[in-house]
Amino acid sequence: MTTSIRFLLNDQEMDMTVPPGLLVLDLLRHHLEKTGTKEGCKEGDCGACTVLLGELTDSGMHYRPVTSCLLPAGEIHGKHLVTVEGLNLNHLTIVQEAIVNEGATQCGFCTPAIVVSLTYGLMEKGANFDDEDVKYVLSGHLCRCTGYASLLRAGKLIQQKAHSLTPSATQSENILQLIEKGILPSYFSEVPEKLKRMASIPPGNGHLPSAKFIAGGTDIYVQEGESLPDLAVTLLNLFPEMKGIVQKGKNLHIGALTTFEEFAAHPLIQKAIPRIKDYMLLNASLQVRNRATIGGNIVNASPIADMVILLLALNAELILTETSPTQKDKPMRRIRLRNFYKGYKKLDKSPTELVKEIVFSIPEPDEQIHFEKVSKRRHLDIASVNSAIRISLKDNIINQIHLSMGGVAPIPLYLSQTCDYLSGKELNLSNIQEAMEIAQTEISPISDIRGSAEYKRLLSRNLFIAHFCELFPDQFSLKDLLNIHG
Amino acid sequence: MSKWKPLEKMKILGKKYPRIDGAEKVTGRARYTYDQFKEGMLYGAILGSRYPAAKIVKIDDSMVWSLPGVKAVLTDVHPTGRVRYVGEEIAAVAATTPEILGEALRLFRVEYEKLPFTLYLEEAMKDEAPRVFPRRSNVNKPRIREEGNVEQGFAQAEVVLEDTFRTQVQIQTPLESHGSMVYWDGDELIIYDSTQAVHGVREGIAKMLDMPLHKVRVICHHMGGGFGSKLQPGIYTVIAARLAKQANAPVRLMLDRQLEFLTTGNRPDSLSRIKMGAKRDGTITAFFAKTYGTAGIGNGAGVRLPIVYSIPNVRHEHHDVYTNAGAARPFRAPGCPQASFAMEQMMDEMAEKLGMDPLQFRLKNDSNPTRQKEWMIGAERFGWHRRKVTPASDPGPIKRGMGLGASIWWPGGRGTKASMKIYSDGSVEVFCGTQDLGTGTRTHIAAVAAEELGLELKQIKVHIGDSNYPRSGASGGSTTSPSVAPAIKNTAEKARQELGKILAEHWNVSPEAIIFSDGYVIASGEAKQRLSWKEACGLLETDVLEVHGEWSEGLSSSGVAGCQFAEVEVDTDTGKIRVLRIVAVADCGLILDRLTTESQVNGGIIQGISYALFEERLFDPQTGAMVNPNFETYKIVGTMETPEIEVILFDEPERGVIGIGEPPTIPTSGAIANAVYNAIGVRIKSLPMTPDKVLQALANQKA
Ligand SMILES: Cc1cc2nc3c(=O)[nH]c(=O)nc-3n(C[C@H](O)[C@H](O)[C@H](O)COP(=O)(O)OP(=O)(O)OC[C@H]3O[C@@H](n4cnc5c(N)ncnc54)[C@H](O)[C@@H]3O)c2cc1C
Ligand code: FES
Ligand code: FES
Repeated sequence: MTTSIRFLLNDQEMDMTVPPGLLVLDLLRHHLEKTGTKEGCKEGDCGACTVLLGELTDSGMHYRPVTSCLLPAGEIHGKHLVTVEGLNLNHLTIVQEAIVNEGATQCGFCTPAIVVSLTYGLMEKGANFDDEDVKYVLSGHLCRCTGYASLLRAGKLIQQKAHSLTPSATQSENILQLIEKGILPSYFSEVPEKLKRMASIPPGNGHLPSAKFIAGGTDIYVQEGESLPDLAVTLLNLFPEMKGIVQKGKNLHIGALTTFEEFAAHPLIQKAIPRIKDYMLLNASLQVRNRATIGGNIVNASPIADMVILLLALNAELILTETSPTQKDKPMRRIRLRNFYKGYKKLDKSPTELVKEIVFSIPEPDEQIHFEKVSKRRHLDIASVNSAIRISLKDNIINQIHLSMGGVAPIPLYLSQTCDYLSGKELNLSNIQEAMEIAQTEISPISDIRGSAEYKRLLSRNLFIAHFCELFPDQFSLKDLLNIHG
Repeated sequence: MSKWKPLEKMKILGKKYPRIDGAEKVTGRARYTYDQFKEGMLYGAILGSRYPAAKIVKIDDSMVWSLPGVKAVLTDVHPTGRVRYVGEEIAAVAATTPEILGEALRLFRVEYEKLPFTLYLEEAMKDEAPRVFPRRSNVNKPRIREEGNVEQGFAQAEVVLEDTFRTQVQIQTPLESHGSMVYWDGDELIIYDSTQAVHGVREGIAKMLDMPLHKVRVICHHMGGGFGSKLQPGIYTVIAARLAKQANAPVRLMLDRQLEFLTTGNRPDSLSRIKMGAKRDGTITAFFAKTYGTAGIGNGAGVRLPIVYSIPNVRHEHHDVYTNAGAARPFRAPGCPQASFAMEQMMDEMAEKLGMDPLQFRLKNDSNPTRQKEWMIGAERFGWHRRKVTPASDPGPIKRGMGLGASIWWPGGRGTKASMKIYSDGSVEVFCGTQDLGTGTRTHIAAVAAEELGLELKQIKVHIGDSNYPRSGASGGSTTSPSVAPAIKNTAEKARQELGKILAEHWNVSPEAIIFSDGYVIASGEAKQRLSWKEACGLLETDVLEVHGEWSEGLSSSGVAGCQFAEVEVDTDTGKIRVLRIVAVADCGLILDRLTTESQVNGGIIQGISYALFEERLFDPQTGAMVNPNFETYKIVGTMETPEIEVILFDEPERGVIGIGEPPTIPTSGAIANAVYNAIGVRIKSLPMTPDKVLQALANQKA
């Protein structure tokens, strides 16, 4: 199966016929001889293959760093793909110069992609690019040589140079300034026009829906990457009607294709879950969050899926639809997320069914939400145990409570008995302690690479308590917490 | 040959300057083995054994051949047909596109006769464990090191402590995996290899293929890291060469990340049982250690105990133990981090027992004069005096602590040859068969040559990474700089003298009066003649000045000392350790370039933190497969875990060039372990110090 794609590769207009599931990394390296983009792992973990994917939006061009090793070629149709070669000028850019001058490249294998990510940082933040941003954009990159210190110093140099920019609100304004200052090649200014011309051409007729769905590709390529170029696949991202977040009455409807980053950046979500940005930082890397979709997280059904754990505690529902997302009069079905999981990677879903939307009620002012995750490495690591809570009180009586926990059962677990016990109870130490014991009977962790069963039990207690300490610091002091441990 | 100039007179060396290949690297133009391409090139892949111990009964490749695009197949890759670890090479294929390789490998039908296996060190040591080699015990005969008389030493001791420490298997994981692009030019074999030793690989491959040396050429312009794992010729290169011959086409064969984890080496694990005795005044009198380590099916799992400190009476017995896992290879300071993790904790335990400050106790038992100074500099900068005397005395669940550790290294330089050409237009080329792993060798060569000739860095064109160039050793053991820099200095000095002679004749002065400085050649004294470098070289007319030089004694030295201080924070609720700050004092001798030196030290420390907290090879006991042969589950440190690191370069230019790459990774894990103890009052005696071990240790302490 092949499809024809037209896209911009750096400053070049491309028109090719490719298998839709071919990885962009392979396309670049093997078919187009763009070897500045490196392969370090082919699983999204090292960042050496990072490229920018630019899309024309209502507010101009918008670029995001993504790992090309998990990106299907069929999806770059009508988009601007930027590799390190597309950032080069006659002289070194301030990003490149800073890396050279600070000695922030040794073997240099990780370097081109780091140039891409740091340049993205400038495009996104412009004059406001700060230390935290530097760490943030680099968090998805592994460098085995430099020890990062020189990279962080290079980041500082770049910031100093960026101070001469005028602060502006949008990427496209920043991009114009960067072009003017000789930091980005001038062809970037022509990109919107070029894409407009291209976008008018619809994707080739290769996009026949098949039941092999690829959304962000961040799970499926890791699991079955090699076979996907040969298969008929449906690239869900070519159906943008499954994206976006809207409010309908008291509910929020999240399109299944919404990415982790889009979710956390959305004002409606930030209002509903005030600390969403902090929680999100614990998940994957920027490049992966730019691709990973909420729907993919749900259907992949990992017992420690972070967004699933959060959504379980939000008491979310799913809207499922049979067959192709564009088909009219499609049958719809609504199901509670907590009833969706039937066993390890077993779902209440037919193979051809799509998750279309995720729905949850907007938290009332008296409701509180919290998410906790513990993993070996703080960032870019899968959880050992994670947990979320949604709770409301009336006169210190628990009015409503939803608790979830991941990594402690074959499925992402909704702690229903614990919730039943707690609802209507007074919020006090002894009730929490009792609830914790009930939770211990609901979970069944096993020993694996992310920790022993005993360790996960210990963690599950600690995270359980952490919710209450975090949300009700006046009621649960550190001392209580330590006592409850004993 | 003359000595190095005093540091004050140096214009380039000892300073900070950007690397000369920086621009190539940041623009993506630097071409690695992974990026080599030749018209008609095929892509190769290796089929690794699925089982940790088996006899290969039969390999059927007929299905493989039926896949369109397959051009060459090998089924006789394994010499004996008796495999001993998962991933061991048994067959190979070359095809026209890389996308079909996965499918091609799946189409091999391999019949195995499975055999029992053993995976972990302590399990393999048991009598009933299956033997890795049928006629040999898994536990090798001991290697014994004895100094003084331990019995007497312990008799003199007033305090004797015993303890046991364990470290894990760590994998080098360079970002560019191992592999080669090869092609045949008639009966000559050209190999692009991601290697730390172009000459070593040429010699190795020539032997393996039974070819004369001059028919094999190995090239490595840029390589994406090695850390010791790329010192030797690879079986993948031989396989690629055979596939290329069979298909009559160039072949690029790079290992995928999984085979990289399984087959290209590792740092062996260790089990160290230690007994140490000291007098009440803090003098260590005796040290006894019995250690074990597994280098998989290979040898070389030694633990360099006792490390750093001077002890008069020592006995150390070490046993290598075979397991069904890929053979170890050198990994940054082989044998040392394992030893340091145990030694530094032992030192702290003893200091505590004696009621001494850990730093004072070390000063008392450290005979290295350089390190004596470094301890004081580091302690001052770190704020060692602020260390809590009573461990675990912070209130609340988050606790902080401080610890320290020392580093050491031995080898210095060895023979390296080089040549230089000076042309009549003033251009200068240096040729040396060394290679740049990212450590900056290419830049250092330009710097040494430019310093000697009074030129700027950019005026020197450096040619390295080719076995056609004068012989240099492998880049390992931190020997590259002390080997290469003297050779380049001597070569450049010779060129300077030759050119000086021509100018002396031209000006009719004595050769001694000729000075090379700031891009000029000057006749000092009466004559006061001066020509620009270019004009001076013009005197060569149609000739090319070509000289050869080599390493000599006196410009480099061996023996490296250093120390590190760590501050950590431990969350006693989750067991997570966060390293907050590292202060490192690194012994540098004559620094070639401060930028690359500092970066080496930083890199070593980060690898040390990664070793201390995250990295660990894990097996599935049922199948014998490694369960984490990927970066998703084999974690290495990223920017978010990078603490504040302060590197203090301790110059001693009079010692000449010394190797600095390996020592900084040695003491980090021990320093962190000691800091963890200071924070929570419990020792973590096994690496990596994961949250579950910390929580377990805290729970055990309570019980
Ligand atoms: C480096 C890295 C780090 C990661 N870190 C984390 C982490 O910290 N936390 C975490 O939870 N996950 C993590 N993941 C896993 C992954 O990113 C998430 O699970 C992600 O949400 C998957 O979404 P996707 O769109 O990429 O799914 P895809 O890979 O595209 O699809 C996954 C599965 O779901 C199916 N599918 C997708 N969308 C739909 C739909 N709408 N309807 C029906 N079926 C569908 C696909 O057919 C496929 O079977 C990480 C992955 C990588 C590579
Ligand atoms: S190759 Fe490692 S993230 Fe893509
Ligand atoms: S410089 Fe080698 S991996 Fe970053």
